[in-house]
Amino acid sequence: MREQQRKDAVWRFLTYAFVITMVVVMMVPLYWMLVAATLPQEQFLQFPPRLIPGTAFLDNFAALQERLDFLRTIRNSVLIAVVYTLLSLVLCSMAGFAFAKYEFKYKEPIFYAILATLVLPIQLLVIPLFLLMAQLEWTNTFRAIILPWAANPIGIFLMRQNMKSIPDALLESARMDGATEFQIFYRIALPTMRSSLAALAIILFLFQWDLFLYPLVILESADMYTIPIGLAQLTGFQRIYYDQIMVAATLAIVPMVVLFLVLQKQFVSGILAGSLKE
Amino acid sequence: MTNKPDYARYGRRRLIKGAGIAGLAGLAGCVGTGDPGDGGDGGDGSDGSDGGDGMDGEDGGDGSDGGNDMASEIDVWGWDVAARALTITADEYESENDATIAVEEFGRSAMKDRLQTNLLSGSGAPAVSMLESVDGPSFIDTGSVAPLTDEIEEAGVQEDFVSGKWEALTVDGDIYALPWDTGPTAVYYRRSVYGEHDIDPDSIETWEDFIEEGQKLPDDQYMLNLPEGDLSGVWRYQFRQLSGEPFLESGEVNIHNEKSLRVARNIKEIYDADIAANIEGWTSAWFSAYGDATIASLPSAAWMEGTLRDELPDTAGDWGVFKIPALESGGPRASNWGGSNLMIADQVSDEAQARGWDYMEFTLATEEMQLAMYDEYGLFPALETTYDDPVFDEELDFYDGQAARALFAEVAQDAPGYRFTADTPEVSQAIETELQRMINGEQSPEEAVQAAAETVAENTDRDLA
Repeated sequence: MREQQRKDAVWRFLTYAFVITMVVVMMVPLYWMLVAATLPQEQFLQFPPRLIPGTAFLDNFAALQERLDFLRTIRNSVLIAVVYTLLSLVLCSMAGFAFAKYEFKYKEPIFYAILATLVLPIQLLVIPLFLLMAQLEWTNTFRAIILPWAANPIGIFLMRQNMKSIPDALLESARMDGATEFQIFYRIALPTMRSSLAALAIILFLFQWDLFLYPLVILESADMYTIPIGLAQLTGFQRIYYDQIMVAATLAIVPMVVLFLVLQKQFVSGILAGSLKE
Repeated sequence: MTNKPDYARYGRRRLIKGAGIAGLAGLAGCVGTGDPGDGGDGGDGSDGSDGGDGMDGEDGGDGSDGGNDMASEIDVWGWDVAARALTITADEYESENDATIAVEEFGRSAMKDRLQTNLLSGSGAPAVSMLESVDGPSFIDTGSVAPLTDEIEEAGVQEDFVSGKWEALTVDGDIYALPWDTGPTAVYYRRSVYGEHDIDPDSIETWEDFIEEGQKLPDDQYMLNLPEGDLSGVWRYQFRQLSGEPFLESGEVNIHNEKSLRVARNIKEIYDADIAANIEGWTSAWFSAYGDATIASLPSAAWMEGTLRDELPDTAGDWGVFKIPALESGGPRASNWGGSNLMIADQVSDEAQARGWDYMEFTLATEEMQLAMYDEYGLFPALETTYDDPVFDEELDFYDGQAARALFAEVAQDAPGYRFTADTPEVSQAIETELQRMINGEQSPEEAVQAAAETVAENTDRDLA
């Protein structure tokens, strides 16, 4: 018995040691980013690198803000990502519900056609989408960034998988009680999907938050830029403004971190939710 | 099988690949490495070049300017210091003409990605934009860059620029851009280190001399940096130094010839002589090694001065330059590394194109403007007629009194042209891979250049020369 306990303890020790090592490996670049954001450019290029935070964060931020209105850039990104996430959640959950719980003609082919669009790289879509937006005279608008991706195939897939687990009997009894189809969706199905919706929210938010090439082409004026576009403007040719880039990158992850912390619990259980079927 | 430089053949595949590389580079937050060769891959010849009219909104520049058929307002795109240099000439131009020149500054790779999409889709491009020589053919390939042959001929300015600039801007006999700055090469060296170890830069004529002098340094100091990962950059400037061309005019792959082999052997000799450090370029370790003189010399181009001044201010006054060593005694010692141009998008209105050309000619073919941009931002003029200006004979403190600009001007005039194509990135990649295997002792220089040529031929569907 004691032998077994000792064995368990060793295993636990090794597991923790491994996990802690991995955490350190992953946190070092983040830590370096935070430190570098507080250093003037000359110290950034020092080797070996300085690992203690400096005091130049506000100076770097002021220089950044002078070069590019970065606070506005963050605001743009947050606005686009939030609106996109909410809209996409509505569309994906409705489509997912339809695919999971209704029978209609060509249901399977349509579903697989939607899934198949996942293999199209964004680079392939940029030029046709740009032309479309130019014809609609939507270039340099936020709606041109939000709408084309609103019905997200990953989202539809995820919601369909999760909604399949809702017992048909539950929906049927609601129907017997006189609920409309929309009430069934909204009152019965959606509330059971909270953790999946939270997970999907993070995925969608992150997708839009990181989008680069497409907004780069669509957004023309500097006051419309999102964070990735703003960051790309900081990289010139002969001089790269590491100090400003690090401040910008540090600020850029704040909303993501906040969102994740808020939804963390739901996120983990949501990701696991579709993995087992009854 | 391939009888002409076939720019438009690999259309869709190249478009996807080009966009993919550009996109990935962007997503990865790819920063400029300073190697003008690392830009995104080329664009495509056929798709989308016909879009154009009817939907380019503001950029076309409306409103003619009092009867001379030039738009009253145009957009101009550039990146970094180049864009800021353009604001100097835009102000001057505006004060002499009744027109507005709106200069927009971008990040380097961001602008390339965006401009390429605008050119391919026929919409959204500015009248005038910056074009790196290395990207010349791949952007021209989009079919959306306006030919300027007639304008250049009419203005009679072709002879005023260094001859080595034109080749990358010419496709099928038409010229598509006007040269701006150029990157004459030289070896930057630390005077104190050379002095301390009795290395005489004047005695270095060939790479053999360079290696021999380098042996005088102690074990913890290096004569130069030869990073695995940028062997193709080294190969290219030396290959160009020998007037090597990666492709024949008829399109065949030509990187396994005697000149390429000579360069590969030279790189191996430098590597085997143990005088080279192996530090990735433009990293903090790299700057640090030049800052504390662990590495004593830096073969680069005229634009490097600005970087050294900015990043290593403490070393000012301790630098000197000499021409890059010849590969054999009496051989050429001039090459070129980098350089940009201005181009006009043919999707904008005729009036905007006319205004664009007028502004371009003023900016690039006027000595005063070129010198102003050189003075303020260190953009070494490709306009040869400026080289008589006294500013080139000035003794500079940064070089401890050496008249370095005169040396760069001499190199600029001697530097051979180079046939960049949309397949240039393929060449860089293949050379990089094979030369790395060579210095790791896995193959001989002969095998390395042969293998690289075969890879390029296969990937680009060309024949071997």
